[in-house]
Amino acid sequence: MNVLGSNELSENVINRNLCTGCGACIDLCPYFKSYRGKTAMLFSCALPQGRCFAYCPRLEVDLDYLSEKYFERPYNSDPLGFYKSIVTSRAGKKFTGNNFQSGGTVSAIMYFALEKGYVDGAVLTGQESILPIPRIVMNPEDVLSCTLSRYTAAPTLSAVNRAIEEGLSRIGIVSTPCQTLSTAMLRANPLGEKDFTDPVGLVVGIFCTWALDFRVFEPFIASRVDINTITKIDIPPPPAEAMEIYTNNGNKIQIPLEEIRNLVPDTCSYCMDMTSEFSDISVGVLEGDPGKNTLIIRTERGKMIVDEAAREGYLIVDDMPEINLEHLKWAAGNKKKKALLKARKNGMVNNRGKDKISYIRLNNETLEEIIV
Amino acid sequence: MSYLTDNQNKDYLLMGNEAIARGALEGAVSVASGYPGTPSSEIIEALSSVAKERNLYVEWSINEKVALEVAAAASFAGLRAMCVMKQNGVNVASDFLLHLASSGTRGGMILVACDDPGALSSVNEGESRTFARLVEIPLLEPGDFQEAKDITKWAFELSEEIRNLVMIRSVTRMSHASGNVRYGQLPDTHARANFRFDGPLSDPETGPVVSMIVGASELQHGPQQEKIKKAAEIFEDCPFNTYEGPEKPELLIITSSACNLYTREAISLLDVKDRVGILKLATTWPLPPKLMKRHLSCTDRILVVEEVLPILEENIKILAAEMAHEIGPKTFYGKNAGNIPSIGELNPDIVASALSSILDVRYETGSERFAEEAMLLVETMAPVRGLTMCPGCPHRASLWSIHNALEMDGRKGFVCGDIGCYVAGVFPGGFNTVKTLHSMGSGSGIASGFGKFKQFGMDQPVVAVCGDSTFFHAAMPALANAIHHKSPFTLMILDNRGAAMTGFQPHPGTPVNAMGEETPSLDIAEICRAMGAKVEIRDPFDLEETQQTIHHLIEHQEGTKVLILRQACALSPERKDKPKYKMEVDEEVCLGENCGCNRFCTRIFACPGLLWDEEKGVSKINDIICVGCGVCADICPAGAIKREEVV
Ligand SMILES: Cc1cc2nc3c(=O)[nH]c(=O)nc-3n(C[C@H](O)[C@H](O)[C@H](O)COP(=O)(O)OP(=O)(O)OC[C@H]3O[C@@H](n4cnc5c(N)ncnc54)[C@H](O)[C@@H]3O)c2cc1C
Ligand code: SF4
Ligand code: SF4
Ligand code: SF4
Ligand code: SF4
Repeated sequence: MNVLGSNELSENVINRNLCTGCGACIDLCPYFKSYRGKTAMLFSCALPQGRCFAYCPRLEVDLDYLSEKYFERPYNSDPLGFYKSIVTSRAGKKFTGNNFQSGGTVSAIMYFALEKGYVDGAVLTGQESILPIPRIVMNPEDVLSCTLSRYTAAPTLSAVNRAIEEGLSRIGIVSTPCQTLSTAMLRANPLGEKDFTDPVGLVVGIFCTWALDFRVFEPFIASRVDINTITKIDIPPPPAEAMEIYTNNGNKIQIPLEEIRNLVPDTCSYCMDMTSEFSDISVGVLEGDPGKNTLIIRTERGKMIVDEAAREGYLIVDDMPEINLEHLKWAAGNKKKKALLKARKNGMVNNRGKDKISYIRLNNETLEEIIV
Repeated sequence: MSYLTDNQNKDYLLMGNEAIARGALEGAVSVASGYPGTPSSEIIEALSSVAKERNLYVEWSINEKVALEVAAAASFAGLRAMCVMKQNGVNVASDFLLHLASSGTRGGMILVACDDPGALSSVNEGESRTFARLVEIPLLEPGDFQEAKDITKWAFELSEEIRNLVMIRSVTRMSHASGNVRYGQLPDTHARANFRFDGPLSDPETGPVVSMIVGASELQHGPQQEKIKKAAEIFEDCPFNTYEGPEKPELLIITSSACNLYTREAISLLDVKDRVGILKLATTWPLPPKLMKRHLSCTDRILVVEEVLPILEENIKILAAEMAHEIGPKTFYGKNAGNIPSIGELNPDIVASALSSILDVRYETGSERFAEEAMLLVETMAPVRGLTMCPGCPHRASLWSIHNALEMDGRKGFVCGDIGCYVAGVFPGGFNTVKTLHSMGSGSGIASGFGKFKQFGMDQPVVAVCGDSTFFHAAMPALANAIHHKSPFTLMILDNRGAAMTGFQPHPGTPVNAMGEETPSLDIAEICRAMGAKVEIRDPFDLEETQQTIHHLIEHQEGTKVLILRQACALSPERKDKPKYKMEVDEEVCLGENCGCNRFCTRIFACPGLLWDEEKGVSKINDIICVGCGVCADICPAGAIKREEVV
């Protein structure tokens, strides 16, 4: 993999507004910080190579390399990435939480993995007021403090860097697709460190089509509702076309998605992954049923944990209706195609030659298949 | 007893500023005031050290204008008074200065202005001499250390004779270098203050003292110009204007102040004393016409050597033009002709080079090789450092937090600065935080303006910094302006407990005055609150809390806010030689140049107390330089910098 340093990162990502705010470059060193959802480089570190660059999901993402590593074949054009099976799911009776985004699958699985020791800590995203806050959770019960979705970009991966520093060795991570991609790069030992061991125990990817910029979203919401009264923000599955804001005085405010989409940051239009393709399992909402999730099982480890969680009553799984799968594939394929076309148009795909930095690298055959 | 008050008629080695102070004592000064500023500060310090013994009243005033007003009051009451400031200070005092020159004085009064050619410790090399002409008062420039004393004493007499203020101008090399000075007698002092005001307005001795009467310039401006004419007459016989050289020199050099010393050295370097004459003038404004005519008549070629601008040169040319029919045409050399630069400090080498080309004599600039070798020595023996602050300086910590908060905030916020040690904030040593830098307190005024440009689409967070002394000096009006106009910015008062840059002179916020007496100290926080600002106080050494507070203050740009960052200067009496922590770098833990740090402490934070150990590839503490503030322990990402409390 082509790895450079912080100056190249700041020049090619932060200064060009391509940063997703994922947090992968935060808490590795004192040079990068995240504040109110935005990543900033405080000083120039000037090392020729570093982890910040290596982990950034907007630089030198070699999809074939990652596919070989995690799925033992080159990247292909399936809109959903590589997977073993797709089912629907929701939290089972053994899991006692209730305030979930949809089916509670994510929280139930992380709870289960923590309790069984499949992970020795979980990196989740909680919140203070409506600002997303990365958290390292050691106790299964604390998973409940991080349920629900924050629809703004979060520096979640900074907590992964901290967890590694603290010595955790089987970290469970709940990540959006850009964060999942970065996690996959981190686990691939991009700097070729000698005594490297994979510090990650389980990656639960969540679906994502966009995440808003907190600094744009906060004033937008504050002009409509007192932020301190918000209890839940939801985007129910299609056909609903609105963001719903619930408040502690029982009100529900609806904002048409049309208005929200105007706020979507440019960086999300470069994101070709909707379903966290390099996770162990991926979870999204289930179209037509707000109480259930779509669950994509991708790896052996993912399958093992899902099966066991279902067997022990933490999770209830069911078949995925064909029509839902079709819609899902269409949406994911559409996102992938649009993003790749845009990235290619802006000279960010498969650049060759010394000093040429690319965003994405992938085999030509797959590239052509995706963008037709 | 101080050596300054010895009463023996013998030689003492004095710094130029001490010579001026001694001259004031011999001239029976009673009241001295000033505002600290390099290279002037030692004069008031010297006088305050003998204040009790000599029954003086000495004060460090809140700013130069007030200092001049305090000294003027003494003069109005019949006392001899001296007011001292650096060149920039004269700008501050200039409003009152013009009025004072117009109202005239009673007790002998001197304004001492110390210029800083080359801006060795200033942000500019402004000329205070122009003020003498501008406000029509006599200007004296001592040409050596003995004269620094003697002219000061003489200036009181001159002032009383013409009933107006007299300005003495010194420069860094005169004020800060030392030479032998022969003492004269100290007078017995039984000065009594009595302000008389019962007489008619027109009586300069007994009437009210007022500046120009509106629409009646003949009443005051006329008499004022008579005074300056009288001064010119007195100057004809001034013993401090001297000529040395042949009767009919090939070249006449006219010079003053420290340039007199450079010129003499240049003449001896070139061995041309038979060809050139030196007219060393102490009375550089107004020029005594008869004296000038005598000397101008002796030769056709004239070189004027002065710092910085061609002020003397131009005044001479005016006279020469007026006398042309008597003295004939002249060839002038100097700044306008390009022989001598109009910027920076002069030195014997510059003068010798000019002389060598004018006189067509060879001059081996041996100094060039010398300069090279000296530079080489400096480079090999001293670590290379940009302009930065002292080890353990609270400003470094303050600027650190301000920088980091603004960068993380990411809205392109910036800092408006002014004069103080924190000028290093313009450079990497202060993290390139400060984006405007002008005069005392002007950062606050500029910020007050920037804050109001929202209607033009400017919504960056605006921060101003000023020191505690600067707050009283000039930032208070700017803050009042901002609050009154609801200008949303945050003023950060870097309160290091004294005017540290110039040597810890007290100010209204400190509990002692110049003479060491206890005084009420004004509470900056309470003043700001009373003005209507929201005020927070933090210890800048607590980086975390300081940065959080800054985030909080700049987040919403509403109203004028004040953050007082209070921590004593590393060189202050309360911190000097009293390290709080013993610091050490754990070599095992230090990440050095690895990813995760890359010498964050020595390369970025760059306190001079931290050193990079090239061989081991780790940082280390320089125990001799580190003052044990402990701050660097909090910036190290690996926790390698350990602090242990000193008990
Ligand atoms: C920004 C964003 C956009 C999304 N877009 C889609 C979409 O287009 N289509 C779709 O099907 N699903 C989307 N989802 C996923 C969906 O909202 C649910 O997270 C998912 O269905 C899991 O539901 P659950 O009931 O199992 O979640 P819960 O059990 O309630 O758990 C939610 C989990 O999400 C994590 N989380 C919350 N906010 C963030 C964040 N900002 N960044 C990273 N992790 C976070 C928490 O750590 C928690 O573990 C999105 C989620 C986010 C955060
Ligand atoms: S190269 Fe390493 S030390 Fe430098 S900024 Fe990147 S992560 Fe930090
Ligand atoms: S690693 Fe993440 S937070 Fe850092 S620059 Fe890249 S996208 Fe932004
Ligand atoms: S403790 Fe650290 S920051 Fe403070 S003076 Fe010593 S080396 Fe400098
Ligand atoms: S900041 Fe800490 S880890 Fe980095 S070089 Fe200095 S002492 Fe070593």
